[in-house]
Amino acid sequence: MYFSDLGIIALILALGFALYTVIASIIGAMRSAPPLVASAKRSLLAVTFFLLLASGALVVSFLTHDFGVNYVAEHSSSSMSWYFVTAAFYGGQEGSLLYWAFVLSLFSALFVITSKRAPAALVPYVMATLMGIESFFLFMLATLSNPFVRSAVAPKDGAGLNPLLMDPGMLVHPPMLLMGYMSFSLPFAFAVAALITGRLNAEWLRSIRRWMLAAWTLQTAGLLLGAWWAYHVLGWGGYWSWDPVENAALLPWLTATAFLHSTMVQERRGMLKVWNLSLVIACFALSIFGTFEVRSGLISSVHSFAYSDIGAYFFGFLAVIILFSSALFFFRLPALRAEQEFDSIVSREGVFLLNNLLLIGITFATLWGTLFPLISAAFRGQTMTMGPPFYNQVIAPMIVLLVLAMGIGPLLAWRRTSLSALWRNISVPAILAALCALILPLLGVTDVAANIGFTVCTFTGGAILYEIWRGARVRHRHGESYPKAVYMLFQRYRQRYGGYIVHLGLVFLVAGIIGSHYFQQQKDATLKPGQDMSVAGYRFTYLGNIDEKASDKETISSQVQVWRDGQLQGYLYPGRVIYATYPDQPTSAIEIKTFVATDVYVYLADWQGAAQATIRVFINPLVPFVWWGGLLMILGGILCWWPARRRLASAVRTRETKKPESVVEKPAEVADGGVIA
Amino acid sequence: MKARNSLQQKRSLLLLLATVALIAAVWSWLFFATPSQPSVDQRVHDIASQLRCPVCQGESVADAPSGLALQMRGIIRQQVLAGKSDSEIIQYFSSRYGEGNIVWVPQWQGFTLLAWLVPIGLLLAGFLFLFLVVRDWRKDPGLAPAGLARPQPAAGGANSASLSEEDAELERYRAQLEQELASDDPLFSRSIKEAN
Repeated sequence: MYFSDLGIIALILALGFALYTVIASIIGAMRSAPPLVASAKRSLLAVTFFLLLASGALVVSFLTHDFGVNYVAEHSSSSMSWYFVTAAFYGGQEGSLLYWAFVLSLFSALFVITSKRAPAALVPYVMATLMGIESFFLFMLATLSNPFVRSAVAPKDGAGLNPLLMDPGMLVHPPMLLMGYMSFSLPFAFAVAALITGRLNAEWLRSIRRWMLAAWTLQTAGLLLGAWWAYHVLGWGGYWSWDPVENAALLPWLTATAFLHSTMVQERRGMLKVWNLSLVIACFALSIFGTFEVRSGLISSVHSFAYSDIGAYFFGFLAVIILFSSALFFFRLPALRAEQEFDSIVSREGVFLLNNLLLIGITFATLWGTLFPLISAAFRGQTMTMGPPFYNQVIAPMIVLLVLAMGIGPLLAWRRTSLSALWRNISVPAILAALCALILPLLGVTDVAANIGFTVCTFTGGAILYEIWRGARVRHRHGESYPKAVYMLFQRYRQRYGGYIVHLGLVFLVAGIIGSHYFQQQKDATLKPGQDMSVAGYRFTYLGNIDEKASDKETISSQVQVWRDGQLQGYLYPGRVIYATYPDQPTSAIEIKTFVATDVYVYLADWQGAAQATIRVFINPLVPFVWWGGLLMILGGILCWWPARRRLASAVRTRETKKPESVVEKPAEVADGGVIA
Repeated sequence: MKARNSLQQKRSLLLLLATVALIAAVWSWLFFATPSQPSVDQRVHDIASQLRCPVCQGESVADAPSGLALQMRGIIRQQVLAGKSDSEIIQYFSSRYGEGNIVWVPQWQGFTLLAWLVPIGLLLAGFLFLFLVVRDWRKDPGLAPAGLARPQPAAGGANSASLSEEDAELERYRAQLEQELASDDPLFSRSIKEAN
């Protein structure tokens, strides 16, 4: 009896309990039998337990170097450090599917534990949908893609992990991204449950938005970590290359962003129900597409580390999801009529429509570029891969418009805006933008596209800060000091101001992208000790190579001095690491030194013995903005998500107890506000 | 009071228009002032970034460090100096390596034109659709009694009726802002009442 056998048993039991949950919760809901639903809840927790057991069995197999398990032998070796051995868990297809299923079960358990907060009628159907998805993954894991398959003769040592994955980024990026993909299951389950029961009320909307916000934040973190990992490991000086795998991760993020905005319209105005449901379904379908596209080898990519033949099954699963949800959707279409009319295009909901159109436009353009190789192969017999310039040219204008809309949107009121108030509110950020447009050419930025981009970013950043200031001023007038007023704004209206933080983060991110796209400088040089090269005011003096040998790897690093304005700024050691298990794939150890907001990125392209190196230097202005902006976006996402849970619970409670009171009070509040203004 | 308000409104609109005009002027000046004749280095880089390095993974000829890419950059430079056009040079490489293998920016001709036209066309169709849907929503009499009952404020209306309408709008807007901030904040709304 090996631990892997325990893993197989746990997988099969988990599959059984998952199927039972589906059946019990559906029958329990249809016959309104609470005991059956309660047993479904317990059975779902059992699925979580058995998946925990299976994952534990795989981790133990890895840590005990049980090379009799094929998966362990293929993805680890006895010389690897324990944390990479553990991370090898999701280094291949079988393990990452297991991880996916495990995290889904964890989130499902979280849902069950907090299910008192969700609309009660929906709970069984949400569980059934989640466990339906889980059953598919467990079926794949138990049959075609089982990580616990043993070979007759255990090899002496494993093959080791792909050296590109032997990086600290590997410890956090894939689990985060897979968790992001997985987390779109929950909004999808809520959508299916609402379509089945026909309950698409405000309470449902709040639940689904909360889960979508969580999924969005996780996916943001996954994308950011992916970009960071590419930047620090791959050695081409960039962080995003429009690779099919990167695109696939971006697609559900885009539709989720669109959903988070358009649900605000539904919340306030009762419009766009059909549209929002389609967005949720699209998010989930795209996340399944992303999960399997990486594995299927359908489209060639730099990032695919494992190919297999399970693509067809995933494709079938995708088709089932789309057919099933479309059928439900058309069944419920009559119940999805808008409750209110549209007043004016110059209103916040008008900007949200524009925002959705642009986000869907970006989604489609990205999907189109990703799938174009298949389309051209089908029609012309040769695959045409789309490179970054295609995406940049199609998507950049849409991003700029999106950022502009992001600046104008918060200045508009719901329903309809007084134009004169709009002119006044727009003036301040517009003047800032004009200053930016004027100053940039004086600083030597003559590219018109870069100027447009920076100007729009200034406008939107200014508009957001102005909006925060305006809110603070209103509170200040009621007797709070400015710092306290700002703090209270964030404290009281975390959703609104958390959203502004996300927007501010995106402005930083876009500014970083523009900076690094238009002003990146690059130079290669083959140097002997003592020779130097200069790029953009930085001088690099090469001193020699250092060779370190360890039992499992050899590290070669070049010693380089960085000079600026005649002053030594420090030493850099760009290098290469050659792992014993993959001698022909040297990975790079890139050195990045940040000067204020400019990254100096030094990469060892080639070397000869101890006294010659080909050094490649990138000067990447504003790349740190990408990371700061991304962090702000994650922070804003957490801000929006975190209190929503507590506030929702308390809001529901107060509504239950104080319903008549609040109804009476509301008009009074309106009158008060009107008089004071 | 009304006269001062309308003056202020007009002033802020003019200020905004002046700012937008200034930005537009800077942009068009930049657009026309930049040299239309790019340098040889720039052209080589432009062309090379449209080609995919055949031996690397996911890198353009302009960025790839490989020897072949270096060689190709040399060929591009020779051909640029010999006076060939960008599309001729790209054509030269695609006939040698096969279009699908080396060109990674679709050209504005033939089948690959589709790659450009489909997303752009769909976006335009989306705008049109949005326009039609919004018009439909606003015209639907069964759904929009409120929208019809209230006349549209004319953007630049000068007569006194529309001005008072705008004043009312302004008041409503201010009320809305405070109300949005005060909603579900009992402490804050109490402070509003006290201030009253």
